[in-house]
Amino acid sequence: MLKIKNNIAISDSGFVFDARTGDSFTLNTTGLEIVQLIKEGKDYQGVLQVFLDKYEVDPESFERYYLDFVATLKHMNLIEGNGED
Amino acid sequence: MSKLTFERPIIQRVNAGLPSKYGIPRRLEPISHIDGSSIRSLLEEFGSPLFVLSEQTIRKTYREAYRAFSSRYPNVQFSWSYKTNYLNAVCNIFHQEGAWAEVVSGFEYHKALENGVPGELIIFNGPDKSIEDLKLAISNNSLIHIDHFDELYDIIHLSREMNERPKVAIRVNMDVGIYPIWDRFGFNYENGEAWDAINRVMASKTLDLIGLHTHIGTYILSTEAYRIAAGKLASLAVKLEKKYGLALKYIDMGGGFASKNTLRGAYYPGTDTAPSFDDFAEAITSGLMSSEIKPDHLPMLVLETGRALIDEAGYLAGTVLATKRLSDGRRATIIDAGVNLLFTSFWYDHDIRPVEIVSDQTEDTTLYGPLCMNIDVVRGNLMFPLLKKGDHYVIRRVGAYNNTQWLQFITFRPNVVMLDMKGKPHLIRRRESLETINSQEEIPDHLKNFNL
Ligand SMILES: Cc1ncc(COP(=O)(O)O)c(C=O)c1O
Repeated sequence: MLKIKNNIAISDSGFVFDARTGDSFTLNTTGLEIVQLIKEGKDYQGVLQVFLDKYEVDPESFERYYLDFVATLKHMNLIEGNGED
Repeated sequence: MSKLTFERPIIQRVNAGLPSKYGIPRRLEPISHIDGSSIRSLLEEFGSPLFVLSEQTIRKTYREAYRAFSSRYPNVQFSWSYKTNYLNAVCNIFHQEGAWAEVVSGFEYHKALENGVPGELIIFNGPDKSIEDLKLAISNNSLIHIDHFDELYDIIHLSREMNERPKVAIRVNMDVGIYPIWDRFGFNYENGEAWDAINRVMASKTLDLIGLHTHIGTYILSTEAYRIAAGKLASLAVKLEKKYGLALKYIDMGGGFASKNTLRGAYYPGTDTAPSFDDFAEAITSGLMSSEIKPDHLPMLVLETGRALIDEAGYLAGTVLATKRLSDGRRATIIDAGVNLLFTSFWYDHDIRPVEIVSDQTEDTTLYGPLCMNIDVVRGNLMFPLLKKGDHYVIRRVGAYNNTQWLQFITFRPNVVMLDMKGKPHLIRRRESLETINSQEEIPDHLKNFNL
């Protein structure tokens, strides 16, 4: 299960602040939505369902971009847990 | 309920306080149409990638350049630099507008002839003219610009052998404050070589010296360099008239005006830094008019402008193949046109736009072509919208040198279309095929078969 690290603050506008390092980041709308869903405790299937209902996207493309995005969050040290649920 | 367009999710580091090394971020407006023609439909009809040339823009640019010079000088003649783009449809637009042809090889010379340009309106430049080329050019009364002494002597011999009076001009290189000096071409002004060459031509008595030529370089941003060059050629013309009583027919200032492309790594965009045709025209014509050439003997001013006349009219449109994350987290976008088609990406930070509407969101990405080579970088780190596989892009200002310097490498060179004055597409160069390539090859008998 993925988890946003404790020391990370996320604003509603997509601004991300890492209190441990002082780094800040910005998310685009879809990035912010995914992070919020992860924060709510949704697993991949949960996130996928929200996106399929709301956006013009097929499951395969979504999976590709989702995994890439999550890997980037990891690369930036914002997330813990493994990429696969 | 209709669903929303999906944008790739991204996260980017904010470098607060640090000025972006890419200058002021600017929104990249999508370009969906060229001259009213939908890029997406063009790609559907003619395949991806696709070169698109705008007849409207070519004519408009030419007329602007012509007006800039002809409103300042009594006798102006453009000569289309074939090497810049020798697709016949392109050349013929310039010829329809009144431009002569400027060629630098036997191949280009024949191309101009086949396009119907009269021999006496072809300027033959360059260091590589074979004896056959020279003979043909002499018998056609073409304007032969002599590049070196070996060629000068060849032409003198030919004039006697053929009993003709070749029409020649001397190509002059000079110091105009642009370095390195292109002193590989022509005869040097400062060390007196150009004057020697002129004297040698006059002494031959069998050549008609009708012009002086210089081409000081390419993508020149300094108008002052042209003023100096015009002054130096004018001073040779004055000396010539004084010594031999000969008034030259023309002074040819070559090409070299910068187009509005941005040089790689330049801080300010070319749209801000490139002088206008009026600026160049002012420098050149004032250089000539303020010289000591007698006003009633002012020679025709010939211009061989290349890139500044055609860059703007060319577009390269295509499709995103993939997006990737590099090992260090940087983003990469792979597109279906590489440096094989866009040779100028070695010089320019090309203006690349999305075709479809995108959000304001951008990310730092590098655009790679599809070649399996590390050098295949179409655009290094730029802030680019979040294109996805299958989305389309269009690259602006690719009209100069790409359709002549493109390479056939691992795939075919694509279709080229010209949009006419109404925006209607015409195929002007067919995509290559396996037959195009294979038709040039021969397989020796013993290599025809194999058993695997
Ligand atoms: C002799 C000569 N004339 C004209 C041109 C066209 O130059 P540009 O495209 O820089 O205007 C060139 C290009 O190198 C050239 O060598």
